[in-house]
Amino acid sequence: MAVALKSWKALGTSVHVLSTHDDGLDAATTAVRDVLEDVDEAYSRFRADSELTRLNANAGRTIRISPLLATAIDAALRAARLTDGAVDPTIGRAIRVAGYDDDFSRISAEGPHPALPRERGREAFPPERGRAMKLRAWRVPGWQGIRLDRRLRTVWLPHGVELDLGSTGKALAADLAATAALAAVGGRGVLVSLGGDIAIAGEPPSGGWRILVAEDSRARPDGDGDVICVPSGGVATSSTTVRRWSRDGLVLHHIIDPQTSLPTSGPFRTVTVVAATCLDANIASTAAIVRGEAAIDWLSSCGLPARLVENDGTIHYIGPWPDPTSVAA
Amino acid sequence: MDSLTPTQRDRGLERLRRLTFGAAAGGLIGVVGVGIAAAASYAGTPSSNATAQTTTTTTDTTTNSSSSTSGSDLQSGPQAPTTGSSGSGTVTSGGS
Repeated sequence: MAVALKSWKALGTSVHVLSTHDDGLDAATTAVRDVLEDVDEAYSRFRADSELTRLNANAGRTIRISPLLATAIDAALRAARLTDGAVDPTIGRAIRVAGYDDDFSRISAEGPHPALPRERGREAFPPERGRAMKLRAWRVPGWQGIRLDRRLRTVWLPHGVELDLGSTGKALAADLAATAALAAVGGRGVLVSLGGDIAIAGEPPSGGWRILVAEDSRARPDGDGDVICVPSGGVATSSTTVRRWSRDGLVLHHIIDPQTSLPTSGPFRTVTVVAATCLDANIASTAAIVRGEAAIDWLSSCGLPARLVENDGTIHYIGPWPDPTSVAA
Repeated sequence: MDSLTPTQRDRGLERLRRLTFGAAAGGLIGVVGVGIAAAASYAGTPSSNATAQTTTTTTDTTTNSSSSTSGSDLQSGPQAPTTGSSGSGTVTSGGS
């Protein structure tokens, strides 16, 4: 399958834009770059001048926000509703306390214990109660307290709440970028991948876009492994095997369980989901990691094709996921 | 005042019982009705559902197609994926 490809780095991850036509690639790339710049300005957690940073610094006040940030917060609240809070945007403080407090490329792989508990004093969190207990002290406040008025485009955060739109935000960005790229290429087929979260728009190549499903988005697409052909919608993979670091010897990763305020420790290390949009696929894959043992039943009830990898490497296929032993394309 | 015959007295008592029963039943229906109306109109203590409703009561003028299904289930694509041959992928979906 001949497709045109352009790749670069943005939003702290890899960006790939594919087009079914060579002559549309430049226009598609420009459109995607524009969307990602807007996204970075609107809801980067690591930019001092982003709208999200200003919003987080103004908890307790009603703040008027841009249409893009309103859309992103709306998407995050929808994710929280649909997953009963398994995907919760109010994990901002928990993930910062866990050590993910800057662009991941600038985070040291190892380091001392997170600073915030020390600032609060050891009296409140005696050492004998352990590191996990200290981290849990910053319990995720919960998405229910957020007040978003979409008509007036205002939002109010309770005191102490810091939003992190990283999970749904990246997938939403992929969807928006694919839509913009499609408009730029005049309806031809485009695919946008942001760190392995994939959005598809327009007429796909014959048989659909061929996507290698892996645990790490940096894996070569022509390497060995499960390849699925997807004609439309989105594909997302959530994994605890990447974006890892350690503090005081405690290995941590970026998927936070809102129930514990800690990185998840369930039976599944990687989950891939195919859905109508990249956003919905990401919501489902992230929620599945957080839900742990309940993920299979929950994904089955959603009716979404899914592939789950247990910590020991056992793979489960859910719903209409194609039989990996039957090559149809 | 003339004294009542036993028959007249019994009819009077029966009428009084009917009136008492009717008034009691009407009162009960009224109490239940008001209770239902009050329960429906009082938000109660905060819960996830109540708050979720709060966040979705206003007209959305900013969201786009990606979030226009707000409140609905997660949506599957119109066509299920099919299997491709190993080594033929053009892009990778994985954690990042």
